[in-house]
Order: sequence, then structure tokens, then C-alpha cells
Amino acid sequence: MTTTMDETGTREHRHGGTGGTGREVKPVPAWRRRLRPYLLSVPALLITVGILYPFVLGAYYSVLNYAAVRPTPEFVGLDNFKTVMSDPIFWTSVRVTAVYALVATAVETVLGVGIALLLNRSSIVGKIFEKVLILPLMIAPVIAGVIWRLMFNPQFGILNHVLGLGSTFNWLSTKTALWSVILVDVWIFTPFVAILVLAGIRSLPKEPFEASDVDGAGWFYMFRRLMLPMMWPYILVAVIFRFMDSLKIFDHVFVLTAGGPGSTTRTLQIGAYEDSIINLNYSVGSTYMFLLWALVFLTARYLVSVLGKAQKRAAGSET
Amino acid sequence: MATLTTTSLSKSFGKTRAIDDISLDIGDGEFFVILGPSGAGKTTTLKSVAGLVDVDRGSVRIAGRSMDGVEPYQRNVAMAFESYALYPQRTVSQNLASPLRSGRSGRYSEAEQKQRIELVTTTLGIDHLLRRFPRELSNGQRQRVALGRVLVRPADVYLLDEPLSHLDAKLRAAMRSELKQLGAMSSTTSLYVTHDYQEALALGDRIAVLREGRLVQVGTPLEVWHEPVDTFVAKALGQPEINLVDAEVDGGVLRAAGGALEVPVPRDSGLAAGDRARIGIRPRDVELGRGAEPATDHLRVRGEVRLHERLGREIELTVDIGGVQLVAVAPGAEQVTEGDAVDLDVPLGKTHVFAAGAPGEDTARIGAPTVPGRNR
Amino acid sequence: MATELMPGRKRLTTGSVVADLAVIGWFVFSLFPIVWMVLLSLKTSAEQTSTYFTFSPTLENFGTVLSDRGTALTSVDFTSALLTSVVNCGGAVLVSLVIGIPAAYAAGRWRYRGSNDLMFTILSFRFAPELMVIVPLFVIYNQVGLFDTKVGLIWVLQLVTMPLVVWILRSYFEDLPADLEQAALLDGYTRRRAFVMVALPLVRPGIAAAALLAFIFAWNNYVFPLILTGSDNSTVTVAISKYLGGGGQAYYNLTAAAAIIGALPPLALALTIQRYLVRGLSFGAVKS
Repeated sequence: MTTTMDETGTREHRHGGTGGTGREVKPVPAWRRRLRPYLLSVPALLITVGILYPFVLGAYYSVLNYAAVRPTPEFVGLDNFKTVMSDPIFWTSVRVTAVYALVATAVETVLGVGIALLLNRSSIVGKIFEKVLILPLMIAPVIAGVIWRLMFNPQFGILNHVLGLGSTFNWLSTKTALWSVILVDVWIFTPFVAILVLAGIRSLPKEPFEASDVDGAGWFYMFRRLMLPMMWPYILVAVIFRFMDSLKIFDHVFVLTAGGPGSTTRTLQIGAYEDSIINLNYSVGSTYMFLLWALVFLTARYLVSVLGKAQKRAAGSET
Repeated sequence: MATLTTTSLSKSFGKTRAIDDISLDIGDGEFFVILGPSGAGKTTTLKSVAGLVDVDRGSVRIAGRSMDGVEPYQRNVAMAFESYALYPQRTVSQNLASPLRSGRSGRYSEAEQKQRIELVTTTLGIDHLLRRFPRELSNGQRQRVALGRVLVRPADVYLLDEPLSHLDAKLRAAMRSELKQLGAMSSTTSLYVTHDYQEALALGDRIAVLREGRLVQVGTPLEVWHEPVDTFVAKALGQPEINLVDAEVDGGVLRAAGGALEVPVPRDSGLAAGDRARIGIRPRDVELGRGAEPATDHLRVRGEVRLHERLGREIELTVDIGGVQLVAVAPGAEQVTEGDAVDLDVPLGKTHVFAAGAPGEDTARIGAPTVPGRNR
Repeated sequence: MATELMPGRKRLTTGSVVADLAVIGWFVFSLFPIVWMVLLSLKTSAEQTSTYFTFSPTLENFGTVLSDRGTALTSVDFTSALLTSVVNCGGAVLVSLVIGIPAAYAAGRWRYRGSNDLMFTILSFRFAPELMVIVPLFVIYNQVGLFDTKVGLIWVLQLVTMPLVVWILRSYFEDLPADLEQAALLDGYTRRRAFVMVALPLVRPGIAAAALLAFIFAWNNYVFPLILTGSDNSTVTVAISKYLGGGGQAYYNLTAAAAIIGALPPLALALTIQRYLVRGLSFGAVKS
């Protein structure tokens, strides 16, 4: 049968209807077929390029001395990086950002996992509260900042009144401000960790737990040996989102303290805001952002590779 | 109505070869069955014909026309998917109307659509389900709807992917006999995929046996049954599986089981004294020995029943013959139990000789034993 | 009642009481600021700093906020900010859907070269520091006249909405069996019609979830309108923050009322898509 069909025969397209439908059959060449997903992606690609353009431009600013007062910038090489990195206030920002991101992520992860475990029980209290768990998360962070700023107010703010701290305790002083903005971050974003982990717990297979229950394993053993390894990918997804978002935190911190007092809550994005928008020194601001971007990028790559490994391991432990 | 030809179809998904060099020539109105285990490339073959899979090499011709670059919706083929692929948000009736409303399998007025749907649902016994949604149906009913969506309209080729696989054994047997009687089915070129050899033998005008993406044998049911091209095909057809017994050529006969089993060497087989080969005996061909003498062309062997399993109306016996285990199927009325000594009559004309090979390795068929006084 | 800390595991009653108390503890912390906010918004200006829980509630503040045209008290035109936010977020989501759905479909259906690169580039927008884009855009927008315009903001909001829409919908399209569209092709429908007829209706929950979630995050966004808009097109989030800094005089009760109005749309939308929220928030990584 193969021998009866020669080369020209297989390539021949005969136009006309098949099976009496009387329709014109237009063959679509293979390259046109392969192009299909690309054609569908073209608009998204254009948007992507459009967004990447200012990104690249921002990176370019960091090697210029571009500022509002200097509308025709010159190429200055790595001067901005030298200036920025020898400026103690930059390192304050780095320290503030690092402390903020690490502490906020750690606290939110522990609390979020705890809340998820508590809500996973079939208790009436849990069922009622699960519905309102996400409220702080859905309120704009800037509104959360506004709410908490009113609550933090030493004179009439509710916190000092309820906690019996009188009217002198200052939540946003040099010593306390960083911890207070972290507290607000915890208030907003712990539900994020909790609902992700809760969804993860609920999707876990029941059999291993039943089996080890029959074997008489203790609660802690089951949690450590069974639940935690299987939950790990979900926890990691939450950690990745939280940590990366914390590195570029802006909204509620800006409303609460605008980086102060002094530079105690001056995160890198707030620093960049001061330099480029308030002082109108675009190049210095962009240098900040370029360094932050590099930090985020490297962190992301690392965390995603950890996540990949964890997912593989969890898949292995489930089967 | 049309012929269907595939030439050297090949397709890889990543590093796995799904199908490799599949060439088929299917006649107008023929009911052609592709038989193979799961993962053999059966579905890929169907989808290549339908144009749903872009093949790496090879071509498809339907009614003599090349299908190179022809979109699936212009090929005028209908397909029943193994997953049913019923539109979940539509009723049975809307599902069945779908091919009639596209305008590509002909134009139908509302009344004509209704009439066709009525006809096909009555035939398939699902006319009471028209207003149900797929999620409200049993698997058997879904499968019938999927079949109905194929049969409801004329097509050059029907492609049927395991259309009976999800049915229970009883319904499957009933549907199997119904299928062939469906008017549309018997007149339309059909490519039918299954892993069930009984379906293949019962339904196919011809059968192609597929293994790991390659065609192993193409032939009528009788041909693949009586002359399996190798042990793979022989094992694929028949339940229990064919017995394969290692043998050695000794004085014009193949001797196995310490001399208990002696089968004449096939003519022109090229087997010389001392060569090794395998004798294939289908369990259902073996009979329990009756009377003093075996029937003509039958070889009588004596053995001891090691295993006795009742399979409904029949019993499956595993009999030890000179250290070799031979499986036989006997009528359920037979009074034999484990440990009994029995006589087995092996019909020489129905045995096969295959080339020697390691256990599990598939080897080619050499021929049938040369039975005195008969050819083949 | 009998509770279980892990599936199939019974706990002692004392344990469950402690657990319930811990849950209640968290929700006191979690809900207290919101309750306090509501209380504050119901106080008169005279009561706003003088009392905590006992006062005569009034809805007057909401009326003041909504009728404030930026002249009377605070220089904030809140109603027009509301309108701007609706237009901006609606527009941004619409653009993202029109452009994102085909791309998500392509990525979910085919493994084509460059597919992952495009998808991850789009995802990286979600994690990129906003100011990296804003600083150059601030300069460009001032040059080309997009500063303080709705179009300018809709464009930059794509950073927020596009990754959400594309990633959520890709995960939905991946879950959709290809057999259904293939069946439609063999029924005689073109690829476009098969997509519209079969695939699209089945991912409608996904589209709704992605659209609403994108709307919420666009609505809640602060840093883009803060820097890229002025007084003409300031959004709800910016308007609320302006109440705080209002020229020396403190209008805490008005601030609270504005904050509540600004928080209501996202909260209402979030509750309607609660079932799909986890999948959306994790960009399709966690399916529940």
C-alpha cells in the first residue's frame, strides 16, 4: 500500500467538497498551523514589551545622572552605584527592608499555618470565622494603613486606651515604628498564608493519616512526619508571595510613617520614592530600584527552585 | 462513504514515539479494527486520521483526497471519544444536534434534525434521555450518546475510540452485537479502536494489531486468529492466553515436556535437528481425552491437574505434563479436581510453531505443524 | 462537640476549647480595627476624639464624604475619585481580559517555544518593584501628556491585572480536557467557534474569578495613582490617604467614613468569589 503512493500523490491537494458537503476545502500549511499559539499571544506580547520598555529605561537611568534639574543627562557609568552604596542611608534602607521582610514573613507563616490548622477542625467557631478571615486582606493596604494610623494615635487612638498604656506610649517612635508597621503587615497578610495553607491541608489525601492513626501514631508525630512534608509546597508558595511582596513594601508603611521617624522605616521602595519623586533625582531612585530588583530576582529564583524540589518531594510522599 | 488510506504515519510526543510508520489501506464501507494494549498508539492513530494530531511524518487520504493541511472540521469524519467528550453544559439532545447545526455535514431543517436525532436515539435506546445533561447519565448512557453523536450524521469515516470500554460486561456483549447491525455503521467506513480481542474478532472485517506504535499484523479475524504473525499477536487474542512450550527438534519432530509432547516440524521451516522452537497451543483447543484413542490428528498427553479454577460455565485447568504447565479449558460439567490424572487431546492442526526465545520475548511464527494427510 | 485536628483524629474537649479560644483570639485582633473604624465613622466631629464606645451614632459623615467636592473641608473630591477608580479598574480589567484570554488559552493548550518565557515575564510584573517602572513612566507620561489621565493609569495597571488574568486562566484552560474542543472540531466547527462554543463557557467561573480579583487589586492599588496622577484623576486610595494629611485639621470621622466606602467594593466582590479566591490569590498554583 505504501508503494502505490508516490511523492507527488501525497502532496496533491484536490480542492472541492468532501463527502457531498460541497464545501471548499482549503488546506492550511503546517507552518501556519504552528503559528497559531503565537498569533494568540501577540497582543499579550505587545503589552509585555510595552511594560518592559520602562523597565529597561529605568535600568538605563541608573547609569545616567538624570534629574529634573538636569534634563539632558550624561552617562556616568557606575557612579550612581558607588554613590548609593557608600551612602549610609541606603544601607539603613537595606537593613530596614531585610528586617521587615524576614520578620513579617516568619511571623505570618507561623501564625498563618497555626490558624489554618485551627480552622481545619470541624468546629462551629472555626466555620463562622472562616467566612471573615479574608477581610483584612481584601481591604486596600493603604486603607489598612489609615485605620491603624488612627488606632496608633497616642492621644485619642483606641490602642493605648484599650491596652491601658495611657496617652504617652508612641507606637510610631524611633524605637517602635518598624515593629508597628510589621504588626500592620501581619494584620493584613496573615490571612493570605492561612487560606492558602488551609486549602492545601484540605486537598491532602486522607488515607495516610487514617493509616497512621490506626498504627497509633501521636499527634505531633503525624504533624511532623506526614502533614508538614505534604503541606510544605503550599506553605512555600505562601512564603514566596509574602517574602517577595515584603521586599518591595510601600503602601501602608508610606501612609503610616512615610519612612520615618528619621529613616527607621525607610524601606528601599520608600527610599526610591524620596529620591526620584520628591527630590526628582531619577537616576538615584532608579539605582535603588535596580538594586532592589536584582535582590528580588535572585531571591525569586532561589525560592522557586526550593519550591520545585519541595513539590517533587511532596508528590513522592503522597504516593 | 469513502476509502481511507494512511501512509507511514509517525508521531512523537517529546521523546516517546506514539506511532511509527503506520500504513493502512481501508476499503469503502469496511469495518476496520485496531487492536492493541493501552499505550500502543491506537488513539493517536485515530486522532491523526481526524487531523486532531499533527503528525510528524506520513499522510492521510480520505476518499482518495489528500488530507495534508486539511482542518479537522473539513475532513468530514465523525469520532466517538473514549472520554465521551460530551458538552457538559448541553443536554443530550443539544449534544446530538451539534454536528447537524454546524452546517458542514449537510444542511438540516429543524424537523430533519429532530427526525434524525429521534431515529438514532431510538436505535441506541436513549430516546428517553434527550433532556438530560451528561452529568445526569450513567457511563453506559454517556457512551451511547457519544456513539449517537457519530451516527446522527453522514460522514466519510467513523472513528470509534473504545466505544464500549466503560460498559459492564453484560451491556458490552449486548452492544457488541447491536453495533454491527446499525445500518449506518455497516455501510460507512469505520475505524474502530479497542483493547478487547473479542470485540475485534466479532466486529472487524479486518484487524490491525498494534504494539508500541508499530503495526504488527493486519488481516481478517480468521487470519490473525489462525496465523498470528508472532507470539505477541497470538497472546493478544484469546483468553486464557496461548500456551507457549519450549521444544527441541529431534528426528523430524518438535519434542517438548520431556518427550510427552511431540509435534511434527512444519514443512519448509528450515528447522534442523537440535534447533529450538516454541509450540503454541490455545487452551480452548485442548480437549479432555475421551475413549481409548484420540481423534484423528490429535495428540494425547497425560498429566496431572495442578490448578482448577471455575470460570462461570467452564473450568480452567492447569495441567502438569512432564514438568511443563499446560492450561486447558474444559466444560464445567467435567468432574476433575486438583491432583487428578487426566488425558489431554491436543489438536495438532491447530497448534503453532514459533521461533525460540527467552520467556517474555516475542518471536515470529514459523508455521503450523505438518499434519500427515493434511496441509496446514 | 467532637473536633478533629487532623482528618480522622478525635481530640479531647479541653483541647478543642483551647483551640477555639485561640481562633477567637485571632479574630478579635483581626476584626477589631474594622469594627473600630465603623464606630469612628458614625461619630460626630465633636465626639471623634473625646469618646471611645459611647456616643450617638450618625450617618452624616458618609453624606459629607460623598457630597464633598473638594471645596469645603478637605480639598478631596471623593465622588469623582470613586468614579475614576471604577473607570480605571474596569478599563484595566477589560484590556487584560481581551488580551489575556487568548494568551492564556495558547499557553494552556499548546506547548510552544517561548511560551514559558512569555508567561514568566508576565508573572514577574507581579513581583517587580513598582517604582522601577514608575520612575521612567513618570518622566515619559509628563512628556507625552499621559500624566494624570485615565488612559495612562489603565496602561500601567496592566502590571497588576495582566499577570492575574493570564495565570489564573491558563490554569483553568489546562484543566479543561482538549477532547471537548476536538469533538466540536469534528462536529464541523472552526477552531474559533469551538473555543467560543465549548471552552469559553466552561471556564466562565475562572474568567469571573480572575476579572473580579484583578478588579479588587487594581482598586486597592495605591502607588501607581499616587505618583502618576494629580488632582484630576486621583483614585479612591489616594483620596482616602489625603484625608489624613488634610491641612493641619484632623477629620478622623470623615477619614473613617471614606475608608469604609473605599473598602466596600473589594469586600463585596471578594465574598462573591470566595470559592475561587485561593486559586486566584496563588495565581493558579493552589487549586482548591
